[in-house]
Amino acid sequence: MHQSVGPAWLVWLETSAVAVAMRQWLWLYPIVEIVHIVGFVVLVGAAVMFDLRLLGLSRHLPVRGMAWHLLPWARTSLLLVIPSGLLMFIAHATEMAANPAFRVKLACIAAAGLNASLFHRGVFQSVSRWDQEAAAPAAAKIAAIVSLTLWISVITCGRLLAYL
Amino acid sequence: MSKHMISMLGILGLLMSLWIGKATGHHGWSGYDSGQTLSLTGTIQESGYEHPHGYVKLAVPDKVWFVVLAPPSRMENRGLPRTMLKAGTPASVVGYPSRSDPQEMRAERITIDGQTVELR
Repeated sequence: MHQSVGPAWLVWLETSAVAVAMRQWLWLYPIVEIVHIVGFVVLVGAAVMFDLRLLGLSRHLPVRGMAWHLLPWARTSLLLVIPSGLLMFIAHATEMAANPAFRVKLACIAAAGLNASLFHRGVFQSVSRWDQEAAAPAAAKIAAIVSLTLWISVITCGRLLAYL
Repeated sequence: MSKHMISMLGILGLLMSLWIGKATGHHGWSGYDSGQTLSLTGTIQESGYEHPHGYVKLAVPDKVWFVVLAPPSRMENRGLPRTMLKAGTPASVVGYPSRSDPQEMRAERITIDGQTVELR
């Protein structure tokens, strides 16, 4: 790899035993990548399926029922996504921190989280009125479009990390 | 933060990520100019058997190239173990120069001690 150049804490992370193991153990890196992918497939998959329902597909399915099924899985998936993501970050901390796609990715994740929390505290409170066989309010549809856009951006940035 | 702002941020993120694609680029094969094949023979000065790609610093008469190889798991599978990349070992590589870094090239194949290993 190229010389570690950057803020001291990033260099420290990158030269730690965990980072060296990530780079040098033959199968650790691919295994961690697989865990990350399995995790975000569940996370983003759950978000996309819920968003499509908000946008009016499969209106016979109750929105509350979908939320009840999907949200716990989305939350649980973070147990796979976050630790594996941190490990990959640590392995190339200085490069990652300097990579514009990485910063955009983090910003999009933060925005997606904020969007979800605003949705649940806001328009979702009135879900009993549009639970089934009814159009969701405009605010819910906007939240769904924002969510779809952000999660696709997150995946795009994640993949571009390797190419920038 | 309003929903509008969040939406703008997402769109901005998407556009930025597309636009930045032109900026640097030193990983995927597209970051290397395959129209210009380099054949280099020299001595390994230093090597790394690391993810995402292994490398050797190859000293040729006029300069030292940073030669990007393949993921270590692939090199191991194709018969290029860590021990073959020891400093001081003579090696030949065929590959393409980086579009952004004049010291860097990516090897399509490497030949050490009469044995050629495909890296792509």
